[in-house]
Amino acid sequence: MTTATAPARVNLKPKPNYETTAWKWMRYSGVLLVPLVWIHVAIQDVIVGVHNIDINYVALRWANIGWQVYDILLLAFTFAHGMNGLRQVSFDFFQSDKARRNLSWIIFVAWLVISFIGAMAIIGGARTHLLEP
Amino acid sequence: MTTLIASLRTTLSGYIKYRGREGHYSFLLHRITGLGTLLFLAIHIVDTATVYWMPELYDHAIAIYRLPPFLLGEIGLVFCVIYHGVNGLRIIYQDMVKPSSWTIHTQRRAARWTLALSILFWLPAAFVMFRTLLAHL
Repeated sequence: MTTATAPARVNLKPKPNYETTAWKWMRYSGVLLVPLVWIHVAIQDVIVGVHNIDINYVALRWANIGWQVYDILLLAFTFAHGMNGLRQVSFDFFQSDKARRNLSWIIFVAWLVISFIGAMAIIGGARTHLLEP
Repeated sequence: MTTLIASLRTTLSGYIKYRGREGHYSFLLHRITGLGTLLFLAIHIVDTATVYWMPELYDHAIAIYRLPPFLLGEIGLVFCVIYHGVNGLRIIYQDMVKPSSWTIHTQRRAARWTLALSILFWLPAAFVMFRTLLAHL
């Protein structure tokens, strides 16, 4: 007579991969972005308003290291969060591994280029001296 | 190419035809508000960056934002940012803090509260911005 052996224990929890980490960071960055973006929007769009914003306003703001750090954080977190969101949405429309890999690369390069353009501006500041008087 | 179009059509018709009520609508709103904000954000990073790269262009960029249709768009953008934030916090709470709340009943109620809270936060901002719009007509 043979005795039935107990089935081996199966670990159903998969190892965290890139997508798991990205999923978590969408949530971590989301928590940070609510105060960061809402304060930015409240000041620039509601309180100050686009009619009171010109290059001198930007120059004045970025002469302050505190606002420079704030805007760098804003740029880094909003745009990465947004571009990763775009990647996730695009995966709904493209199912093949090849298409998804290509899309990820395109989105990554676009993210890198636009982030560089923005970061250089925040660090370099408004170059009002280049304007004709 | 035909498979690509078929895949796009399947996904889009699923987005529209799925009848998940509140959960479905908040999923769609989250995506629309997120993508809308991202589209503006990409443009906004580049137009603001002109102060460093091409300072003479910045005035022109700002002049476009001061046109009434863009001011209306700005009021819509503020709604997108508020809704995406409030709904994002709901998702984060349900995912990370209380996964047991992912039930149809709780989610429907939470989705309705999310929309109500977003409108409540948005109305004062929209009022101030609309008043500014009228003052500059």
